[in-house]
Amino acid sequence: MNDHSPFDETRDVELGAALQEALALPFGAAFVNRVRARLNGQRQRRWEDELAGWFWQGLVAASLVTMLAGWGLNRFGAAEEIDQSTGSSSVASQLLEGSAPGTNVLFASMTAAEAQ
Amino acid sequence: MIGVDEARLAARAGQGDSDAFASLIELHQAMARRVAYAILEDQEDADDAAQDGFLSAWRAIARYDPGKAFRPWLMQIVVNAARDLRRRRRVRTAEPLDSVSPPGKDDPAREAGDIDLGERLRAALATLPERQRLAVVLFDAEGYPQAEIAAMLGIPEGTVKSDVFHGRRALRKVLRTVKEEWHE
Repeated sequence: MNDHSPFDETRDVELGAALQEALALPFGAAFVNRVRARLNGQRQRRWEDELAGWFWQGLVAASLVTMLAGWGLNRFGAAEEIDQSTGSSSVASQLLEGSAPGTNVLFASMTAAEAQ
Repeated sequence: MIGVDEARLAARAGQGDSDAFASLIELHQAMARRVAYAILEDQEDADDAAQDGFLSAWRAIARYDPGKAFRPWLMQIVVNAARDLRRRRRVRTAEPLDSVSPPGKDDPAREAGDIDLGERLRAALATLPERQRLAVVLFDAEGYPQAEIAAMLGIPEGTVKSDVFHGRRALRKVLRTVKEEWHE
């Protein structure tokens, strides 16, 4: 064993082995378990952070859906209320339903008005 | 084990496979802890730094290029983690080499032929500047080529050569002394 030259690129195997032994730390398995536990904790936290990141978007979307649903219910409810207050269904809904008055009745009433 | 398996594990880890990454931790924990210990000179700090390094590597694994060797990539992260921790903590200063006296003639350890080479090498390492310490450990103990060490530490290759040369001188002196004591 000598000091070789500053340009020596050969590993000093004896010194290397002695250093490895001098720097070796005990409880390798315990260390691995500790890092794995932290890793799992980090993964879980990442998933929770992901969910937390979507919180406001989710809240806005839920509010929009609720508002739309409320608006829709309100609108159809108001139409029904009008029908109920007039006591009869509207001409449009009668035509859609195919119930009275029929087209022949409407035509007769128009010709009668012209004759007068 | 290191080679194809390591590259495959690293590629799988890059796709988010934490079991593959755990296998990489098992493969490299001894080396990572030794390198961190060489920087921090304290076992608990070394374990904390190695752990920080592995967790940082896991967070950055998506950026790892599978075309390159995994080991130097990881070791660079561990070195940075250990240096960060060293900056954050007040590291216990080791006794200088000269103050670690060789065991006396009536030392029971010496009588038993049990001279603690490890302890004296650690003390000798502690007297070296951090960069020299790292250069010798990474080159002689861990077997990295000097060019790779230069890239890892962000210094010219010539500086690594010089650091290895000067670091070795101090450590070889200890090794020689201990061997002579063994032969006496």
